[in-house]
Amino acid sequence: MEFKIHKLKNGLMVIGEVNKNAKSSAVGFFVKTGSRDEDLRINGVSHFLEHMVFKGTERLSPFAVNEAFDKTGAQYNAFTSEEGTVFYAAVLPEYLAEITRLWIEMMRPALRTEDFNIEKQVIKEEIAMYKDQPSFDVMDRCRAIYFAGHPCGHSVLGTEESIDAMTAEQMRGYFSQRYAPNNMVAAFAGNFEWERIRDMVEAGCGDWKNQDVKRKIVDTRGARDKQRLDKANLTREHICLMSPAISAQDERRFAASLLSVIVGDDVGSRFFWELVDKAIVETASFDFAPMDGTGAYCTYVRCSGENMAKTMKIVASIFADLTKAGVTEDELAKARNKVLSAFVIKNEIPMGRLVDLGFNWTYLGQYRQVEDDVKAVKAVTVAEINALLKEYPLGEFAQFSLGPAQNA
Amino acid sequence: MKIDKGAEGGYNRRFFCGMDSDMKQNLDKHKLSNGMMLLGEPMEAVESVAFSFMLPAGAACLPAGCCGAANVISDWIFRGAGERDNRQLGDALDGLGLQRSGGVDSAHISVGAALEASNLSSAIDLYGDIILRAKLDDEQFAPARQLAIEGVKGLDDDPRHKVMLKLREQFYPEPLGRSTAGEIADLEALTPETTKKIIAENFNPAGTIFSVAGKYDFDAVVRQMEKLFGSSVAGRTKSLKTGASGGRYKHIPNDGAQVHIGLMTPTVILQDKNYYNARVAVAVLSGGMGARLFTEVREKRGLCYAVGAQYHAMKKAAGITCYAGTTPDKAQQTFDVIVAEFNRLAEGISEEELQRAKVGLKSSLIMQSESSSSRAGSIAGDYYMLGRVRALDEIKAEINKTSVDSVLTFLRKNRFKDFTVVTIGPKEIKVG
Repeated sequence: MEFKIHKLKNGLMVIGEVNKNAKSSAVGFFVKTGSRDEDLRINGVSHFLEHMVFKGTERLSPFAVNEAFDKTGAQYNAFTSEEGTVFYAAVLPEYLAEITRLWIEMMRPALRTEDFNIEKQVIKEEIAMYKDQPSFDVMDRCRAIYFAGHPCGHSVLGTEESIDAMTAEQMRGYFSQRYAPNNMVAAFAGNFEWERIRDMVEAGCGDWKNQDVKRKIVDTRGARDKQRLDKANLTREHICLMSPAISAQDERRFAASLLSVIVGDDVGSRFFWELVDKAIVETASFDFAPMDGTGAYCTYVRCSGENMAKTMKIVASIFADLTKAGVTEDELAKARNKVLSAFVIKNEIPMGRLVDLGFNWTYLGQYRQVEDDVKAVKAVTVAEINALLKEYPLGEFAQFSLGPAQNA
Repeated sequence: MKIDKGAEGGYNRRFFCGMDSDMKQNLDKHKLSNGMMLLGEPMEAVESVAFSFMLPAGAACLPAGCCGAANVISDWIFRGAGERDNRQLGDALDGLGLQRSGGVDSAHISVGAALEASNLSSAIDLYGDIILRAKLDDEQFAPARQLAIEGVKGLDDDPRHKVMLKLREQFYPEPLGRSTAGEIADLEALTPETTKKIIAENFNPAGTIFSVAGKYDFDAVVRQMEKLFGSSVAGRTKSLKTGASGGRYKHIPNDGAQVHIGLMTPTVILQDKNYYNARVAVAVLSGGMGARLFTEVREKRGLCYAVGAQYHAMKKAAGITCYAGTTPDKAQQTFDVIVAEFNRLAEGISEEELQRAKVGLKSSLIMQSESSSSRAGSIAGDYYMLGRVRALDEIKAEINKTSVDSVLTFLRKNRFKDFTVVTIGPKEIKVG
């Protein structure tokens, strides 16, 4: 593995990790913009804009874009979060240059009004689709009450109303501010020729104008609100809890990740043994969600209405016990093995590697080898996790539940 | 220790089957005397290994009235095995850092994992216990069954997933399409005794396929598997009698935001000479974002966010499935446009469309070959479906052989018809 880096005069970072043994290559444009950077009047614009990038440029129609990708057999897509927008493709090495050229062109989209109007319908269908996925819906709602007033609580999809009211002109304004070269990283992983790709990015992106781009960074410990929504068509209780955690930049993030495996991995965790193994709930998970300058832990549980009270009692006692007594050496050893093997398996594939490469640069401005992260995971101690638990007690959460008419 | 010579000749035979450097590939193969098949694909430049046991105890293999038992079994066998109780076994598996995989399909219960290569032998030992010496304690049966019931109930809140399960149930002749999640009434009636009997009858080494891919030593794997499984006796291989399929259209009312539409039409199975023509046809329809369904339904009309078609095969029956989710007022139009696109395929395909479809299929083949889990699954799946493992080169050559003419000839002789349709949502559609 060889790391390469190049910064264009306009601030665009080009980074790459070359692995000549790989059978594929991956390319990604990481744009540091998401729903937290939106004015609420245009809530959902980052995600809508991500869709519009695929609608082509002055030269390329939407159909030409799709065909250009498909003719290389690329596996490509994009995603938007509260924090960022990522465009990516995994391809056979012989097509990487062609696909890189295509992405470069697409990063300066036409944003035509007629395409905007058709895509608005697709976005509204996507909003409807997620309404029919209560496990997603409940997390989105919990996030909003936890982050009350903090930009990280903004919905990624936006609402039907905000999407309806949005104009193509507003989107163009947002684009010119946020898709500035100094707010983006072009990343490459796998089997490719660095010099060729670097020169291509230099030639294609060198004339992009940089901007004065800002993001409001405020840490928060969230609100401890508790809300519920009855939905007549549901049959199960969907419960989401969120509590404060460290940020993506915090050195203790490896400890927080290991803690999340100890508490809520799908097998072998405290949630598993106390809730799932005993069939009190169908599923229970606990995740560490590190963000730019802040962070949260997020629990999701699905169970029957009759088990809801019992479930909440058990969750509370697991959280209380962790704060009081902490995790054990044995739990840490198992979590470490699980995290390391998942990490190694993921990084064997260029597309898996690309994600870490891009995010490490976006959040930390840092290149980290697989070995650096392996070392950091191995170095985490029980004392470190237990100190984190004292500083961020899991019991201080916001709660949202979705389900059929409330049981008494 | 006895090392058996499998019926297919020679233990640890490694076949070299690569012609072109991109597709260099070896296959390890050995059959135990009781019929259990061991397959392996070594991969360079990986530190991981993935393995899988395909046990012939899937949803279609179960006796009538036991729908869902396979899910109970795939949980119950992990609740203590060999010398270890439930908790000790879970801890031992976790201690190896296993990324567990598995599930239930029509033909099999699959159990396996991906892990760092150095732990493979310890992991196989544990899985030997789980498959051959599960404790099957009565007190662990209740939670295993309850979780299966919870899983079925949870599907009611997941219409997108449920519609595809219901679709396969309607489409395939009984018992092939039987719900892999299960039926609540059957699960509630299930007893530990019945379940133990199902395990005894169906965990048959003669129908079990073990596969491994990534970094491993096949000689060592064969020796270990022989020691663990060599003395278990082959059972009688059962043949399935199939009955009738479900009706043409089923609507399940649900006051959600969208109508979830699933449709399916019959096509050729993997052994058929037209298999690759069918795969290319599906790719023209829905291989990428430039393919017809995405273009016509989403890009031009904005009817859906999610729309796509896939080839779905069992050993003796296959179909093309299609899913679309859309708000109620657009449901009819969405369905009509999709069916029109299925029908329009036979009218003509351009050379560019064909090329995109072929490149897409070949690329995904090569990219999948970078993942040990995906390779372990593919070689076992091939062996079950075909009785042999296709080399990646063979698949590539067969895709290359297809042409506009061959695909159109196939489509014209095998018109898409007899659509089976299931919808879940606030509004029914007319299926014509």
